[in-house]
Amino acid sequence: MNLTQKTQDFLKDNLTLEDALPTQLPVYVNSTAYLFGVSALSALVMLILTGIVMSLFGPSWYHLSNIGRFFNSLHFWSVQILFVAILLHLVTKYLMAAWRDGRWKTWMVGAIIFFVAAFTGLTGFLIQTNWDSQWIAVQAKDAINAAGAGSFFNPLNLGQVLTLHVVVLPLAMTAFVLLHLFLIRRDSPVRPIAE
Amino acid sequence: MSKQSEANLSGFPMRPYDMLREGLIVLGFIAILAILLAAIFSSPDYPTVRGEDVAKLQPTAFLQTTANILAGNSEIQTYGPPYTSDNQNAQAVLGIAPATWFGVSTPLDPKQDFVLNPLTRISVLNKDLDAALQVYKTATADQQQAWLKAYMAGLDTATVENDVVKMPDGDYGPVPTLMNSMLDLGRAGLLSGVLDGNAQLPYTLDFTRSLLYFQEDVDHSVADSLNMLGEQWGISHETGSYPGAWWLWPYTLLYQIPPMSTSDNGDLQVVAIVLVMLLIVLFMPFIPILNRLPRWLRLYRIIWRDWYRHEQLDSTSPPATESL
Repeated sequence: MNLTQKTQDFLKDNLTLEDALPTQLPVYVNSTAYLFGVSALSALVMLILTGIVMSLFGPSWYHLSNIGRFFNSLHFWSVQILFVAILLHLVTKYLMAAWRDGRWKTWMVGAIIFFVAAFTGLTGFLIQTNWDSQWIAVQAKDAINAAGAGSFFNPLNLGQVLTLHVVVLPLAMTAFVLLHLFLIRRDSPVRPIAE
Repeated sequence: MSKQSEANLSGFPMRPYDMLREGLIVLGFIAILAILLAAIFSSPDYPTVRGEDVAKLQPTAFLQTTANILAGNSEIQTYGPPYTSDNQNAQAVLGIAPATWFGVSTPLDPKQDFVLNPLTRISVLNKDLDAALQVYKTATADQQQAWLKAYMAGLDTATVENDVVKMPDGDYGPVPTLMNSMLDLGRAGLLSGVLDGNAQLPYTLDFTRSLLYFQEDVDHSVADSLNMLGEQWGISHETGSYPGAWWLWPYTLLYQIPPMSTSDNGDLQVVAIVLVMLLIVLFMPFIPILNRLPRWLRLYRIIWRDWYRHEQLDSTSPPATESL
């Protein structure tokens, strides 16, 4: 079996250059609602860029530096924008019943992205190393422990939370977003509901 | 175009599109929005509650907390997994207690780990403390409890003069020496270090012990002053007027409603309900009624209004053209 040939065949069938970088779209794709997904993606790009800068200096940098505080603020507001965009994207895709014609996989991967984003947000609040982190850690631990997850995730262990937030979860998020984008482009935008 | 797209778009008219241009314009807009919000509103950064602050500003609260821990009354003393092995306080729903499945992963004995071990470590520097520790450790459990009970009752009427906590007369045994040594540790800013420091691991990033130390009355009184208690929608708040994790509102809402708001198993009940909610979102395409609701609501007509307007005006004409 030639793996390279198999990959070529897969891409020819599922993700041509026109799918990856489209130059035309069906005419019904003509609404502000189609911008919520790309808004969420843009907020994610902002989060990764500002997150990289902050990770170079560590979680306490922003307490002591005005530049650090500005990057922390950029990161903070990008999170707010991300969740507004995700929520609008989720609601509009629901109203469009966008899972039709076999697109349920796209919907489910999108839902997983939302869950991963929410958990990433929690770890982000926990590594602020301020009162919010302190309070959220001692409060959140009870639900986490009650669910049996306390043996794997300790919100009071800064080292674990930090590595999850800056390495594991961004990688997971990026992987699921790439899968989501692949499914979106492979299957094309869902057609309007027939009446 | 992929085979799937060709099949899905067969017969539909297309319009020119520039994905990269659109993406860059939206990215630019989002970046400018984030920069403006960051420049105008900055971000929250309310300082932590440190042992040093509590010891200096609220010495009696510090001593109450510490005596309470040494008396074995702290919540963590009988918390159950992952801190202690007694399962009777592990939360359960329908007889299922997931907390017990994986045992004790972060073993804690607050009496020892939060008070006696730190005091033992510093007793080499203080002979009075060393002697008091020996008296305390060799006393019976009943005697220890009697001293601590009297001490905690005395704290209620204690006064603070020139940073000295003056206790009313009473039989407290060696407890005042132990407690004042802990207070000194706190005032010196060494409490977190002695709690979290581990002789075997000189590097530590685990603040479990120091964060749990004040998690009861002290943290709750601070949270209350900031409207951040669980019954005040807790962790979905930020300090000040900043937006917090508002996407967790459905989760925090459940904590406001009985029986979750009053049950000893409230956390697990909330987790179970949230899990069901997540599964509903995940499997929405397959859930009867919910997956038909968009068709009945017909709000999609707003999103595809141009398409339907054309269909309505020109229903007998060939498929739509690029002029749409």
